[in-house]
Amino acid sequence: MKLIKNDQFSPELPEFFQEVAKEPSVGIGIPEVSRREFFKISTIAGGGLAIGLAMGSSPKAKAQAGSTETTTLSPYVQIQPNGRINIFSKNPECGQGIKTGLPLIIAEELDCAWEDVDVVQADIDASKYGAQFAGGSLSTPQNWMAMRRAGATARAMILAAAAQQLNIPVSELSTSDTKVVHVTSGREWGYGEFSELAATMPVPEADSLTLKTQDQFKLLGRRFTGVDNVDIVTGKPLFGADTRMDGMLYASYTKCPQIGGRALSFNEDHIKSLPGVVDAFIIDENGTPKVFSPGAGDMFSGVAVVAESTWTAIKAKRELEIEWDLSNAEVASWSDLVERAYALEDQEGEPLMINQFLNGRGSPPTRVSANKGDVDSVLQNAATVVSGFYEYPYVSHAQLEPETCVAKYENGSVEIWAPAQIPQSGETGSAALLGIPAEEAAERVVLHQTRIGGGFGRKLANDYVFEVVAIARRMEGVPIKLQWTREDDMSGDYFRPGGFHSYKAGLDSVGNLTAWQDHFITSTGNDTAPMTSADLNPNVFPMDLTDNVKLSQTMFHNAIPTGPMRAPSSNAIAFSFQSFMHELAVASGKSHVEFMLDTLGEPRLAIPENPQSMHTGRAANVISEVARLSGYEQGASEPGRGKGLSFYFCHSGYVAQVADVSVSANKEVKVHKVWAVADFGFIHNLSGAENQLEGGIIDGISQLFNSKITFENGVIQQQNFHQYPLLRMPQTPELEVAFLEPEEFSPTGGGEPSMPPVLAAVTNAIYNATGERIRKMPLFELGYKLV
Amino acid sequence: MATLQINGKTMDIGEIDPSTPLLWVLRDELGLVGTKYGCGIAQCGACTVHLDGAPVRSCQIPVGNLTNQAITTIEGLAAADGTLTPVQEAWVEIDVPQCGYCQAGQIMSATALLRTNSNPSDAEIDAAMSGNICRCATYTRIRQAIKTAASNMNSTAFYDAAQTGEQA
Repeated sequence: MKLIKNDQFSPELPEFFQEVAKEPSVGIGIPEVSRREFFKISTIAGGGLAIGLAMGSSPKAKAQAGSTETTTLSPYVQIQPNGRINIFSKNPECGQGIKTGLPLIIAEELDCAWEDVDVVQADIDASKYGAQFAGGSLSTPQNWMAMRRAGATARAMILAAAAQQLNIPVSELSTSDTKVVHVTSGREWGYGEFSELAATMPVPEADSLTLKTQDQFKLLGRRFTGVDNVDIVTGKPLFGADTRMDGMLYASYTKCPQIGGRALSFNEDHIKSLPGVVDAFIIDENGTPKVFSPGAGDMFSGVAVVAESTWTAIKAKRELEIEWDLSNAEVASWSDLVERAYALEDQEGEPLMINQFLNGRGSPPTRVSANKGDVDSVLQNAATVVSGFYEYPYVSHAQLEPETCVAKYENGSVEIWAPAQIPQSGETGSAALLGIPAEEAAERVVLHQTRIGGGFGRKLANDYVFEVVAIARRMEGVPIKLQWTREDDMSGDYFRPGGFHSYKAGLDSVGNLTAWQDHFITSTGNDTAPMTSADLNPNVFPMDLTDNVKLSQTMFHNAIPTGPMRAPSSNAIAFSFQSFMHELAVASGKSHVEFMLDTLGEPRLAIPENPQSMHTGRAANVISEVARLSGYEQGASEPGRGKGLSFYFCHSGYVAQVADVSVSANKEVKVHKVWAVADFGFIHNLSGAENQLEGGIIDGISQLFNSKITFENGVIQQQNFHQYPLLRMPQTPELEVAFLEPEEFSPTGGGEPSMPPVLAAVTNAIYNATGERIRKMPLFELGYKLV
Repeated sequence: MATLQINGKTMDIGEIDPSTPLLWVLRDELGLVGTKYGCGIAQCGACTVHLDGAPVRSCQIPVGNLTNQAITTIEGLAAADGTLTPVQEAWVEIDVPQCGYCQAGQIMSATALLRTNSNPSDAEIDAAMSGNICRCATYTRIRQAIKTAASNMNSTAFYDAAQTGEQA
């Protein structure tokens, strides 16, 4: 099998990350390897070596490189004279483990003992760190090589300094566990002994660095616990919610229940008369906040209450009487969309058009049909035709930390402390909101990243950041902490959009898939393109491998805000696609495993010209392995019990899962166990990778059974966890997870691909247990109860 | 002027609206931000603290209703020298946290369970922990950590609510 190295990982970026990458000096992902990728920042205070990542043309970076005023910088590596190492972690930590994961990669190539490392959260600075965000399962793959070179660069400079200081040829020196070692004599010196001289050494050319081979790794591949664990279990302030400042006041912000309504007036005198209330005022809408746009400064209109405590601000919020202008408010109802969608069950929509960049990226795309082959005639001649209509709902992120942020505005500048997944867009958007010109934004808008109390994509949006910035501008000189209630969060989300698929597929006389047709029914705010994450990628398996594909689309006008949630679009599509694949497998007369492997065929890239497309060999391997581990082919051990299989490829990750479930006569479902086999390339922190995979499975089961957001006349109907229950410990199945690690592949991210397959693994298991095919989420609406 | 008995100390909370939930007194007035806000309606358990050793949802306790009960928060578990309790130790070793936001509440519920039941069954763990949501879904590791803590439990290292109350 020919495998493709992805060391130069450069996936197509979702639209919402593209603005982060717009600034060429920022770039996104691994910058093109320049002759000298790292620049020496300077000697740090008290001596020591500091290594930063140079971002090519950035004027700020160049200025810093030539500067001696460097104590304000946060480079990747600082080696203190006492030998302890500071490693800076660039990206936001939202539970994906990146604050541990990226520094580990640096420490490996620096050849230091992990016990000698103190991890420091980096501040937000594109000129030093490039793009800093938590999304798309991209943090590890995009930084893998850059972090290795950052570590190797520092190691090379220490070795050069040691050679000069000891007057020993560098060829006789090596390193081990934060020590320089004289190979022939065995003498050892701590890195700290050379740190001051190392800071004066020339920075080595990037192509002169020797990186370790995998068999030389001492740290990577093992199991490491989170660097913040002790602070978490002792309740130290880490999260956005924990930010406190002298003189800080607390704010609530109340928006229109009918999404998009604008505040006209409120019972101002009464609210301002409440004890502890300092001020209350209306803030106007900015931009087009119904559309997910992390960096534009967009926010809804509402009423801010500023008070002496969070509780006072929340209490006053409950007494608000607000008159709204509803002329631009949403009027959509989910029940209406469902009715209209089912009326289209047997029809086709408009041809689904996709962007094709005939003249390369950067030039305007051409809209072309996503169809392939001749579905109509193949279906006419098919031995078997199967059809099914699938439905999935709107879903809320429900991250446990409701949106919260602190900002202080003074003399035309703002300082922000935010648990943001794209903090750089939080800065860009805050500058836009405040009317600060882009060239002054770096000076006048400063955002500090905090640990994030759960992201799942919700905190890719920066609406709550912009809200507190707008409030802080009115309260000049006073630090303001905005705290959303859970009700604000659940009714004010950028939701995972609901949708519908009307499938038809053909099998030939030997049960092979020959044609695939999907009429996708979704929502649009502008009547031109689907809402964010409400689109259909025509390369989803098995469409990428099927010769005859016909895709059509119907878009209902409905601008209820939507945005990316863990594995955007895949998190819903996987349920319907992989449940329908099982329908086809049953119709084919083959076992599900056999049908999947036959559909995948020979090991190859699904789209030969796209190295980021699915590799069928890697897909087949995870499916075969999970079937073996789970004893899938042996079936269930008792009546009313069944095993279900599912597979999904997204975010460069391959995951196959098998669920073992029992279904009682009154539709109580016990998920006994889920097996998962994943190929995320090389696993550099086993504990972190297992955590992502295990969490994704349970997240998916929770959504499958219980998660549904509805809206009536533009008003969200669910407000808190009593109306939107999440899975709890008694419902948690046993989990067994394993990783295939083909040597040729560097790591990809596990946060997102871990989740989608389990949806259909459970519904296919229920089918195998009961014969009832499930084509609708969530299952509680079909009478099922997760126990 | 009102006072509370928190983590073995008498803490002054000044003149405060008696309807204020204990949660917000801890976080805003006393700076004990380890106790978290998640839902405000006793559904998620992120705000769990101990009252005289029993787990309660601090978002549901108006501060005016408190008398002289011993309140223990996540900040009050480890010894003064930083030595972690067996529960905290197990949480670190087993690498339970993902985002970590709910874990203070989880640890308070688990600690209360183990104070009264040093060898809980799976069903007893389920019952004691079912009020705590972990959105990252670390439940299997939480279960494992509770069992590890139970087997490592050492009475001298384990905090005693009555004793910390007396120190006040």
